[in-house]
Amino acid sequence: MRRLGALLLVVAATAGGTASAAGHVTLTVYAASSLTDVLPKVDPGERYSFGGSNTLAAQITQGAPADIFASANLTIPEQLYAKGLVTRPYVLTHNTLVLILPRANPARIHSVTDLRRADVKLVIADSAVPVGAYTLQVLKTMQMTDVLDNVVSREADVRDVLAKVALGEADAGFVYATDARTVPKRVTVLRLPVWARPNVAYGIAVVTASKHRAAAASYLKMLLGKRAQATFRSYGFLPRRTSG
Amino acid sequence: MRRVAFFAVALTATLTTLGFLVLPVVAIFTHVSPITLVRQLSNPVVDDALVVSAKTTVLAQALVLLLGTPTAYLLATRRFRGRSLLVTAVELPLVLPPAVAGIGLLVAFGRMGLLHTSIPFTQTAVTLAVAFVSGPLYVRAAIAAFEAVDPTFVDAARTLGAGPARTFFRVAVPLAGGGLAAGEALAFARGLGEFGATIMFAGSLQHVTQTLPLAIYAAFDVDFDVTLAIGGVLVLLSAAVLIALKLATSWTLSLQTSGFRFAPSTSN
Repeated sequence: MRRLGALLLVVAATAGGTASAAGHVTLTVYAASSLTDVLPKVDPGERYSFGGSNTLAAQITQGAPADIFASANLTIPEQLYAKGLVTRPYVLTHNTLVLILPRANPARIHSVTDLRRADVKLVIADSAVPVGAYTLQVLKTMQMTDVLDNVVSREADVRDVLAKVALGEADAGFVYATDARTVPKRVTVLRLPVWARPNVAYGIAVVTASKHRAAAASYLKMLLGKRAQATFRSYGFLPRRTSG
Repeated sequence: MRRVAFFAVALTATLTTLGFLVLPVVAIFTHVSPITLVRQLSNPVVDDALVVSAKTTVLAQALVLLLGTPTAYLLATRRFRGRSLLVTAVELPLVLPPAVAGIGLLVAFGRMGLLHTSIPFTQTAVTLAVAFVSGPLYVRAAIAAFEAVDPTFVDAARTLGAGPARTFFRVAVPLAGGGLAAGEALAFARGLGEFGATIMFAGSLQHVTQTLPLAIYAAFDVDFDVTLAIGGVLVLLSAAVLIALKLATSWTLSLQTSGFRFAPSTSN
């Protein structure tokens, strides 16, 4: 559904023009859905479209009028960079993967290995979405790919996984630590062993076809700045380790 | 002069309308060749989605017909207080956004919902979602079809000694047949395309709950060819339903004009 919403936003954006009367350019930012809460907090003045990074990339490839692209991995923006669709990507921030359970914990899960039990309803993201790929990576590292038999749904993005667990319909799901923090009363977080945690790095780049490349570049620079990075950390994101 | 101008405007509007409505369908088939389409039919994703769609559609429409027909008959033939309220309640899912239907089904049938069932994420969930959004289309058409049945035939059957059940099956249903078939064709098509309620209530898992529309959604940013191929399959299926609908409608018309109902029975 979010994908439809994004398309509608795009239509609205093209119809409405992009420069406001005051001369401030309103940028259209396509960002991974795990950035849903933090980006508008850092800068509420832009137009955001959140979704699975792969979906947004497909839309940009099809010519969607985005100025900025922020992905929940580095692979997708690097692929777009190789095609000349975006400028060289920077590392925006880091995150980590956690296992979440509904507060009532109907399947009585107390560790990741409990996922192996036959009656567990596990929800993960589709492997095409970064969080889905990270989930598979974790399960492979922990030699637990057999729990994939307990998957009852493969969702389109991380927020869909979060919703199914927060509603209590699924017994467990893998999401980013920052997503789990948005519904603290509804989900319990189980942390993964340090050795199994994937390196979740967000890549951000200016869309080459943007009509506001200068404004987009300064927006990107602002996001990498001290104040914005402090906001990211206050939402549970991890400090940047690599400088772009 | 003015007449010519009007004609020109109407013609332009007609051509624009036709072009606009036909172009996306044509575009699918210009992007996917018949060979690709046929080859994609053996793609496991497409294959599984086709099976899931077929299974859930058949079950859902059986449910719609079995429960919807008597419901429509009762609502069409009885007059009682609160009848229009009931009809409105039956029609409500038609105007609900599918996403609302999905969340409603989840809080009704979900584990944490009113009825505490374990239906979500199963094929039953897909079937229920499809029945929920498509059923009202059939019931609405069926009410109209039963209302259009001349009550003198029903009364005649009753005075001739046929019980209510026999009257329903032998008189009311055959006379309303064309309308029922048309309603069912619309419900079938709507159910086949069901997306929003399904993805929220049943999730999406290949081979289990991933129907053709959900497979299009999942394939969209992975493999554009698969997306187009499933799109092509759905266009063909939907066109087949539409043709069936046209046939059902013309059948009703021929029933009404042929007047064979009034012909005296020759065999006895």
